[in-house]
Amino acid sequence: MNTTPVVELENLKVRLGRREILHGITCRLGVSGTGKAVGLLGPNGSGKSTLILTLLGFLRASAGRARILGFDCAHGMGEARSRIGYMPENDAFIGDMTAVAFVRQMAELSGLPPEAALEKAHQVLFHVGLGEARYRELRTYSLGMKQMAKLAQAIVHGPELVVLDEPTNGLDPAARRRMLKLIAEMKNEQGMNVLVCSHLLRDIEQVCDEAVIMKDGAIVHHCNLEEERRSNRSFVELEVTGDDGGLRAALPEIGAEGVPEGLGRWRIVLPPGVEVDAIWRLAGRQNLLVRKLTHRRDTLEEIFLKAMGHIAHTPGEGAASGVAPNVTAN
Amino acid sequence: MLPRYAWRRLYQQRLVLLLTVLAFIWPLLCAGFIYLTNHAELLQGLDRDFREFIQVDGRFFSIFMYVQAGFAVFLAALAGPGLIAPDLANNALPLYFSRPLTRWTYALARLTVLVGMLSIVTWIPGLILFGLQVGLAGGSWFRANWTLGAGMVAGFLMWLLVLSLVAMASSAYVRWRVVAAAVSLAFFFILSGVAEMIDNVLRVRWGHIIDPAWAVNQVWRALLGVAPIEGPGAAASAWALAAIVLLLVVVIERKLRPVEVVS
Repeated sequence: MNTTPVVELENLKVRLGRREILHGITCRLGVSGTGKAVGLLGPNGSGKSTLILTLLGFLRASAGRARILGFDCAHGMGEARSRIGYMPENDAFIGDMTAVAFVRQMAELSGLPPEAALEKAHQVLFHVGLGEARYRELRTYSLGMKQMAKLAQAIVHGPELVVLDEPTNGLDPAARRRMLKLIAEMKNEQGMNVLVCSHLLRDIEQVCDEAVIMKDGAIVHHCNLEEERRSNRSFVELEVTGDDGGLRAALPEIGAEGVPEGLGRWRIVLPPGVEVDAIWRLAGRQNLLVRKLTHRRDTLEEIFLKAMGHIAHTPGEGAASGVAPNVTAN
Repeated sequence: MLPRYAWRRLYQQRLVLLLTVLAFIWPLLCAGFIYLTNHAELLQGLDRDFREFIQVDGRFFSIFMYVQAGFAVFLAALAGPGLIAPDLANNALPLYFSRPLTRWTYALARLTVLVGMLSIVTWIPGLILFGLQVGLAGGSWFRANWTLGAGMVAGFLMWLLVLSLVAMASSAYVRWRVVAAAVSLAFFFILSGVAEMIDNVLRVRWGHIIDPAWAVNQVWRALLGVAPIEGPGAAASAWALAAIVLLLVVVIERKLRPVEVVS
């Protein structure tokens, strides 16, 4: 069984000029050939794009090592590049070419014979919804169409791994849905591994199986979203008036844990099988007046905010989320 | 496959096509001249001194080369930026370099196409003229003058390398096709002007060494056995051209990158 990681980093450091952007990252992401998506999340300047550019061999590591699909990013990229498709964040096209000529050229550059490249170019342009516009010059395309053309050139040669940098940038809601559907199809139906770099949590949550959160050039969190979804833990936000001093001690009675956030606000984690009614009853027993009770599941947004240090650590986590044992940020 | 796409892109530009066609006028006239000089009966009415003056020799080929080299300058300025600037203008380089294609392969593919296109109007018609002269004048002329053919091809290739690299470097820097073409032309005019200025201000003759057109002319003269112009010799001029080529390669190497790092 193939267990080659899609991305493997060993104490990777990258400097741009005098600044060190990536500070010694070590991690293994995804497994090659499994058709899973890994999301790379982080605020601007966290080092996501630098990491992607290093993985593609565009930037050199100042120390450590990076491998993609088992190939060394500094030396073995010739072979690796024919197995990778890359969709950059910014505009990237040849304005005076028709979409079909552009995609065909990119397919040929990836090693497809001319006839096969032409056939695949037509197919993939229909697949991404540009079939009718495929003979138009790319400079006449709208932003959304250009995004789709970029996706088409990234997948035309049927790569093992597709690297997507902010794929939904500038898309309207309908186009965004279509893009996410296409990404899901790529991994589920065509078995491609996908590495998605985005600052949109919902996009990552919707299409990815793993998520890596970066901050200040280091990985601060790595979670398995599949397990997160499976764990199905219930989170409750509670706001009460009255003396809530005894609530913390009372919560374990129903198997729950909670942290006070001041001014009668609480964040509570319910164990599986315990419904939100138990909180009502508990509040009643404590003579508390419930002003707000929000029942929701743990979201990637919460994981992200915790990783960024914007909200307090929620008790009860760690079953499915947390810094994975094979991920360290030096 | 990159050159195949590049050729197609080249001749999609009508001006390039027009200039290429116009560039064949002078070789046709030269072919007529060669025919005339090899048919003594047609020249009988002319003055003897004039008949001796119109010879197919190094001077003839050097004049042919000057004219075609001029066309080549304009063709390179027109066509060169069309090969690279569109890739840079729309940030397409990351798409190329995320595939099994190195920067050097990309640059070499573009260079090959440019040199190939310029060859069509320079050394290829030159070699045809040389062949025509050999055919009409016979093997003895070839044995006595084969160095003219070799010198012409070598001289043209040297010039085409400079022209192509200038066109590539200017499009790598400017990114906008029209401006890149202007910069490409300005490169030669400005260096020629600066060289003239150095010579006049410092009252020297070595200033022309930085003028690639002057330097290549000096090298051509040496290759074709024509008297040199006053100033630095052919060897010094060849070194100066090599230095310009090196400088242009460095410029291209710095600019043709998938990502630009601002430190």
